Amino acid sequence: MNGDVHERAARLLAERRVVTLAREDEQWLATHLADCAGCSAEDVRVAEALSALRAMQISVPRNLAGRTQLRVRLRAEELREHAPANRLVWAVAVMSWIFGLASAPLVWRGFEWLGGELHLPKLVWATGVVLWWAVPALVATGIVLFGHQGRTSAE
Amino acid sequence: MLDDAQSLARALKRRDPDLLDRLIEQYQFRLFRYLLHLTGNPQTAEDFFQETWLRVLERGHQYDGRWKFEAWLFAIARNLVLDWHRRRKPQSLESLAGPDEDATPFDVADERSESPLEQVLHAEVRTGVQLSLQRVPAIYREVLVLRFQEEMQLDEIAGVTGAPISTVKSRLYRGLDALKSAMQGGAA
Repeated sequence: MNGDVHERAARLLAERRVVTLAREDEQWLATHLADCAGCSAEDVRVAEALSALRAMQISVPRNLAGRTQLRVRLRAEELREHAPANRLVWAVAVMSWIFGLASAPLVWRGFEWLGGELHLPKLVWATGVVLWWAVPALVATGIVLFGHQGRTSAE
Repeated sequence: MLDDAQSLARALKRRDPDLLDRLIEQYQFRLFRYLLHLTGNPQTAEDFFQETWLRVLERGHQYDGRWKFEAWLFAIARNLVLDWHRRRKPQSLESLAGPDEDATPFDVADERSESPLEQVLHAEVRTGVQLSLQRVPAIYREVLVLRFQEEMQLDEIAGVTGAPISTVKSRLYRGLDALKSAMQGGAA
């Protein structure tokens, strides 16, 4: 029973450092701490430790900020240099999609005609249409991804 | 605060180099200290410090100003450290039991004016706390540091760690408990 009281006090002391206690818990704890030297000393010890934690100083490596600022500025420069190239890639991709969509019916008819001339089953020439669409996109994606990976690993 | 955060977000989107210089200067101590707590190694912490700011530059457009900047910054730093841990070993911060056996506490550099006796006493307390903190499992040490050293709110800690507030609270309770036990162990 007595142990329960101290356990409750320990629990409330921890809670008090994380959230606001209910008024009755706060009152109960204050009364208990006034009567119990052990719990009160424990509270002071943890408070001192947390206060020391707050005041803890560490030595920052010399010129850490300066070196970081330089690296960040160099990287910013690099990003600015790549920006026009990236915009160009996006512009080409958008144009390619527009032309691709606009020419889709013609491509379909073209493959249909070729399939008819060569007596190919529909599955074969339809696969040809799909590849006509997919292969350039896959190659372009591969180039962009490998290019990016290369730049990342070079850094 | 919100207006500040919003203007910060706009400047980060522009990759304003002067702003980044100021932020690096302003947060160098706190970010480095946090990374030191996470990694336990000054050289590694320094590498992650630089990587974190490069990431801030590259992903600045993702900061929307709804969080405090430091919570976002610390979340980036934490994710970089976690990725590094996962690459080294398939584990997360949750599974890190604690520091290496031979780990030494950080260098203490206190510049406040104190009497020599006060300096000795305070240094002893701080060293004791550092040693005790090193014995607290990393998962609890992290929230203790964010709460009591960085003085973050529970929701900000939840944002940094990606854990629900209830989990943050329970880690804090356990962390306090572990710190108490570690201090008792150190005193014994």
